Amino acid sequence: MGRYLKNIWQTIVTMLIGMGVTSGHLFRARRGNVTLQYPEERWPQPQRDIGFDHDRYNVIRSKLHVDIDDCIGCYQCERACPVACIKIETVKVPKGTDIGTTSNDTKKRMLVTRFDIDMSECCFCNLCTYPCPEDCIYMTGGPNSHKQPLDYEYSTYNRDDLIFRFADLEPEVVERLTKPPLEQEI
Amino acid sequence: MTMDWLIDWTLSSWLGFLGSPGAFILAAVVGGLAIFGLVAVHAIVAVYVERKVSAFMQDRIGPMGQGPGLHAGKWGVLQTVADALKLLLKEDIIPALADRRLFILAPFILFMGAFIGFVAIPFAPALVLADFNVGLFYILAVSSFGVLGLILAGWASNNKWSLYGAMRSAAQIISYEIPAAISLLAVVILAGTLNLQSLTAAQQGTILGFLPNWFIFQNPFTFMAFFIYFIAAVAETNRTPFDIPEAESELVAGFHTEYSGMRWAFFFLSEYANMFIVCAVAAVVFLGGWTSPLGELLSGPLWGLFWFMVKVIFLVLIMMWFRWTFPRLRVDQLMNVSWKVLLPWSFINLLGSALWWLWRS
Repeated sequence: MGRYLKNIWQTIVTMLIGMGVTSGHLFRARRGNVTLQYPEERWPQPQRDIGFDHDRYNVIRSKLHVDIDDCIGCYQCERACPVACIKIETVKVPKGTDIGTTSNDTKKRMLVTRFDIDMSECCFCNLCTYPCPEDCIYMTGGPNSHKQPLDYEYSTYNRDDLIFRFADLEPEVVERLTKPPLEQEI
Repeated sequence: MTMDWLIDWTLSSWLGFLGSPGAFILAAVVGGLAIFGLVAVHAIVAVYVERKVSAFMQDRIGPMGQGPGLHAGKWGVLQTVADALKLLLKEDIIPALADRRLFILAPFILFMGAFIGFVAIPFAPALVLADFNVGLFYILAVSSFGVLGLILAGWASNNKWSLYGAMRSAAQIISYEIPAAISLLAVVILAGTLNLQSLTAAQQGTILGFLPNWFIFQNPFTFMAFFIYFIAAVAETNRTPFDIPEAESELVAGFHTEYSGMRWAFFFLSEYANMFIVCAVAAVVFLGGWTSPLGELLSGPLWGLFWFMVKVIFLVLIMMWFRWTFPRLRVDQLMNVSWKVLLPWSFINLLGSALWWLWRS
């Protein structure tokens, strides 16, 4: 009988303790909540400097980016890609047409009319970035992260939106530049 | 009471041509729609509040979208409205091997058990649809009607989980109705009536000048009876920590495993309607119903409705508090609590209350 009464008493006490705990959480809900309201709030970007030498390693492989103004259309990255997720098309310009130079002062000879990277296929191996003679294709978050803000989510509603199209030449511009130089002057 | 008033009004107005059967039917339809409106609004608001309360207790923030202006909206206030619309539009699936007729019937029986209990609840001094002399008995009787719907749902689903859930709920509800009813009897002895309006009226005034003259404060036995009744009421509504009929981790969803769409919504609606009913009974019998806690201050027909709703909502919130605090009981523990703890103590209460009444008179 004593044990029976003691059990009841302990049940009541522990119930009240438990209800105290939950009501405590209820009334400091605003302070203690752990929910991140995702589209409005985001986690801070991960700390990039974690002790690696940034000249040699891409610490975070977030997304491939191409500085299309520096691209000379050499196809080296497309050939290096093990999953063939890079598609490049180029057009040759006639001799004597000046289409500018890259940041490394290399004369450009090709018009890059298409430079598509399908990031849904990319395996983030980083192999395309090493052969690039102009350092114009790189993983964001790596050594070139100062060039491009880190976008670690790039979520889309449509899988096709994961194909990033970097070529920015208008068809009319391509048509004008590929005409023989004599015709261009007219 | 309100029902009689509605019939008289119908007969004396331009609707008099309906005659007395027509007036009765009209009054029943109006009263029924009013109750259904209350049940639906209560369910929608209570589900929202429950989700918010549970979220806050677990350091989350609960639904935040769906408000006016959708995602940028305020605190998800329209979340349950959106859920209700979704449930209305969902496909109605009946398993091929289910007992089709019983499967369709079960949620309505369960809902009806909760729904017709509202008829006898005194919301305010003059606001009770039908003023029975045996109102308390009536509510106890029709609320145990719902267990029939529960068992039918479990049986008709032709599913092990459903059947186990139904069996468990039958055992549970039958066990817990006894302490609940005996605890209420402790008050009935003191008041000498089963009429809910007279029970409420007997609690007007104050004790010792400051305590409201509610039955919970009238003697130590009724004080204890309130807690026994409330625990048993939580068990009768199949809510955590007594939710073994629908224990998610064991029985998926128990008796409503096979239900979807609107039929499932009816189970939910009747759960919240049942919550309202048991809390209303607790409020009327122990907490003074529509009487004001401040004595004569702030009492009147509209204040009566206000105080009644405040008490009921307070008790509903306590049930939610229970749900998000306590873990589920095992089946044997559940039976243990009912038969070895609540029942003997409710008998002691009954005896003590009777002796108290003898001593006072």
